[in-house]
Amino acid sequence: MGEVTVAAEVADKLGSLGESSAIAMRLRTDQYFDAIQGMLDRFATKKDLDVVYVTSTIPSQSIINALEALEISIDHIWFVDCISQIMMSKEKRHAHTIIVESPTMLENIMLKVEFLLRKHSDRKALIVLDSINSLAIHNNTKILSEFLHILVNNLRSRGAYTVIFSMHEYETEEIRNMLVLVSDETVELGTS
Amino acid sequence: MAAKERSDDERERCLTGIDAIDHILNGGIPRGNTVLISGSVGTGKTSICIEFLIRGALNGENSLYLSVTEPTDKLLVNVIPFDFFEDRLMKQGKLQFIDLPKMYEKLGIDKEDLDFDQTRLLADTIVQTVEDQKIRRLVLDSVTSVCYRIKDQERIRDFLLRLGTELSSKDCTTLLVSEIMSSEEGYSRWGVEEAIADGVIVTGNLERRGDLLRTLQIVKMRGTTHSRAKYVLDLTTSGVLLVPLLKGGSVTGGG
Repeated sequence: MGEVTVAAEVADKLGSLGESSAIAMRLRTDQYFDAIQGMLDRFATKKDLDVVYVTSTIPSQSIINALEALEISIDHIWFVDCISQIMMSKEKRHAHTIIVESPTMLENIMLKVEFLLRKHSDRKALIVLDSINSLAIHNNTKILSEFLHILVNNLRSRGAYTVIFSMHEYETEEIRNMLVLVSDETVELGTS
Repeated sequence: MAAKERSDDERERCLTGIDAIDHILNGGIPRGNTVLISGSVGTGKTSICIEFLIRGALNGENSLYLSVTEPTDKLLVNVIPFDFFEDRLMKQGKLQFIDLPKMYEKLGIDKEDLDFDQTRLLADTIVQTVEDQKIRRLVLDSVTSVCYRIKDQERIRDFLLRLGTELSSKDCTTLLVSEIMSSEEGYSRWGVEEAIADGVIVTGNLERRGDLLRTLQIVKMRGTTHSRAKYVLDLTTSGVLLVPLLKGGSVTGGG
């Protein structure tokens, strides 16, 4: 049997999970863009999902550029970008991007996700949180746990998929405990 | 238990149409209540009031905005961006805007300070307009500006009591906008407004580690049980959205 690509593995693992699932996706940094490709192109497209992509790791424009290079349509992908503003980025903002001033404004992240879900309430959705590690740089564990608990339960009640990225290299014991508390499944990449 | 006493469930509700507020109030504002929306500048008071009226008009309830400080045409600029706003509401008269200075003019009130008779006349004219137009939702933006012209505490009390009682008897649910300074204690400039109102909704700014969050808190609402927690507010084209204020972080300022 040939080697399974990361993108295929992600799509396969997510595809086996039920709706309303909250998934902690543990990956290495070198798997990052392949995981995004598998999740957005193979999984979300196949399931005909709208995607709300919350990024606090890299600016949304960098992800959009990567998706365009891979010829992945972003017609059904919206970004909540919590990092461009504090980076004082001068990049032009894409029409599918909403800015949150800082990753410390966790309530505003919830509000922007809520806004986007209301805007497209006729379709099923996948919400990606990229990543728990970068949010943990800016927030203490207590408030971050509270944020995840409220957000994930809200999304679950709406029947949305939630995927929370966690980078192996930057994981701490506290982050692992937090993920166990809020997620239904943990997907480990590169173990199949 | 007195025969007239009614439980929360029995009191008819006026659904604001702002989902989170209706949820916090366990089903909306008790019909006929007079509610003070109190806050400093830029905290979302006018947006909440406008959404309350549009949602009511969409639901078939005649809704009226009495503007004291901003001319109607300037206010309309704030209405149009809402996704749920429909032109027909104004054409059909379901949603009306009246500049209060024009009402003063019609009533021949030209002096800056209102005397007892003029105060009574103003309250009666508002009530008559509500009755004639079968208004079910009223916003007075702002009650603070009106009170500035009344000045005397006793007359302010009389004006608000008269307005509240008469509008309630007509099943008209009223929002009175109260402008306060962020540093001010209490929920109104004169102190009388909050004591007479059936409900007090406070909007504010909360500073947390350098971030400024818009907040909303319902501190009082007669006729229903409700959450008194603080929520974070966002003003969007889909309307006012709220989420609970996270408590895990250290809060360094109030608002």
